[in-house]
Amino acid sequence: MNKFVKGIAVAGLATAMSQGAIAACGEVTVAEMNWASAEFMANVDKIILEEGYGCTVELVPGATLTTFASMDVKGVPDIAPELWTQSVAVPLNAAIAAGSLHSMNPKPILGAGEGWVVPSYTLENHPELKTVLDVIEHPELFPYNEDPSKGAFVGCPAGWGCQQINNNLFAAFDMEAKGWVLVDPGSAAGLDGAMAKAVQRGDDYFGYYWSPTAMMGKYNMQMLDFGVPFQGMDVWTSCTTQAECADPQPTAWSVSEINTIVTDSFMKNNDPKAAAYIKARSYPADAMGEMLVYMADNQAGGNDAAIEFLENHEDVWTQWVGVQAANLIKKSLK
Amino acid sequence: MELFGDFPSLGRTELRDLKKGIDFAFRDFSKANGEAIETFFDPLMYFMVWFEKLLINAPWPLMIFIFAFLAWLGARSIPIVIGTIVSFLTIGWFGMWEDTMATVAIISVATFLCIGLGIPLGILMSRSNRLQSVITPVLDIMQTIPSFVYLIPVVMLLGIGKVPGLIAVCIYALPPIVRLTNLGIRLVDKEVLEAAEAFGSSYRQKLFDVQMPLALPNIFAGVNQTIMMALAMVVIASMIGVKGLGVPVLRAVSNQYLALGLMNGLAIVALAVIFDRVSQQYGKRLQKHRQGGHDV
Repeated sequence: MNKFVKGIAVAGLATAMSQGAIAACGEVTVAEMNWASAEFMANVDKIILEEGYGCTVELVPGATLTTFASMDVKGVPDIAPELWTQSVAVPLNAAIAAGSLHSMNPKPILGAGEGWVVPSYTLENHPELKTVLDVIEHPELFPYNEDPSKGAFVGCPAGWGCQQINNNLFAAFDMEAKGWVLVDPGSAAGLDGAMAKAVQRGDDYFGYYWSPTAMMGKYNMQMLDFGVPFQGMDVWTSCTTQAECADPQPTAWSVSEINTIVTDSFMKNNDPKAAAYIKARSYPADAMGEMLVYMADNQAGGNDAAIEFLENHEDVWTQWVGVQAANLIKKSLK
Repeated sequence: MELFGDFPSLGRTELRDLKKGIDFAFRDFSKANGEAIETFFDPLMYFMVWFEKLLINAPWPLMIFIFAFLAWLGARSIPIVIGTIVSFLTIGWFGMWEDTMATVAIISVATFLCIGLGIPLGILMSRSNRLQSVITPVLDIMQTIPSFVYLIPVVMLLGIGKVPGLIAVCIYALPPIVRLTNLGIRLVDKEVLEAAEAFGSSYRQKLFDVQMPLALPNIFAGVNQTIMMALAMVVIASMIGVKGLGVPVLRAVSNQYLALGLMNGLAIVALAVIFDRVSQQYGKRLQKHRQGGHDV
């Protein structure tokens, strides 16, 4: 009995002390999406908001559509650190217009998006290859194993949205006439396996991939500039993404829109300093890649990766928070 | 009591190191030997590419004639021949001709490969109880291990494409032919063998002139099952870049295209039914011929 009372007293004291030390932030729910980079970001947000700003953070597991629906309708969770907005564009814009959701940070991860990639050693060994336009002139560097006279471009697995885009871009860049074959890897496992196999052997490889992913970081893949400008959303949605596109035009890949979305109640009720942090934090591509590789290599969860990141990338995250919060967070890590 | 509450498992770090160790060992192995293994399979790959192109580029009436002719040779049954022709015409009509030919190509190669490996293996197994006790659990593993588990190492070693697809198909389709060859030979009556011995048959004569013919019904059941299993693996093989009817099925699955999935799924079923009826009828005819001699 005695022990129990003591416990309550200690807990109460601790709460009182922490509230005294920093301004009240309140309770925040953060969406922890079911892929590695989002899991990692949610955990970094949790530690920084809790230790730096005194919020009480609860992580809510979810996926893009389910989390968005819940935020839209119920206002929970408060923060979606990494929301790929293209799949929910229409309801999201409506919610933003109505003021129930806010796009707090349009660039949470720098250099994120889809595109065509080659290993970095390919670029080093062939300095003349700078853009997609250069690479597609050299199918002989990427021989297709079933027909070595052709070059292999590994596209998107059957049934993915990007498959249609790759088909159209393949036609738009006239790659068949240039001696390329568009290889369908069949599945995510096939795509990853093809890339991993090529890079482990030191073979040149050319294919579709996206960032931020552990695969990009682990195998040091470089996303190529297309060498042509993006032709605009009109062309993209009316032709490049469509199966019926009669005359596909060369264009760069549409920039994938990743946003940190927050609810109105987070904007209004929580510490504005916490909101400022959310606004400021954007992960450089290489730091994000490194953390994803760390997670994959060590089969680590988001929490381990978040601690690893806060310990080793002070130069990155201290720019997102105030000096006071930075000191509190550093203290908590020790 | 604590001992019984939590299972005394390996620590997190040890477990992680173990997994990493296995992963790295395999990576090193594939780095060192992948190229050689790939080169070893190259002739097979070129043959498959050639065979697929042959089937796809041949004029379709010729192909349908060949299929009908093979069905006649195998089954000697007019309804089956008509069914074959109608099925292939329907498949072509619905625009699935190329995918179907690609599937037929890989299934034929896989079946012949499995028969070529499986029957000798089954014979060896029937000769020795010790070998049987070693091979049986391996066959159990091959049939029950989830295919994605072995797809990862196969892809790491050989990349994506026809050869890894063929290996994935054969891992699943090989066991029935081995099991049923073994079973068929073991089921041959002792008395018959004794009679053969009494007539002074050599080892070879006993095997090829007595045991194998008497085991044929079972062996054919094995061939039939191997074909069915191979067809069942078409979609899985497509997940590692094998062309054919599996690709549209995958596309249908990820986009909820009901009609597309159903049409291609039914085309796989049609192939299965044709192969099944023809091979069963052929097996039955062989059996009749061997058993009675008065009723062909």
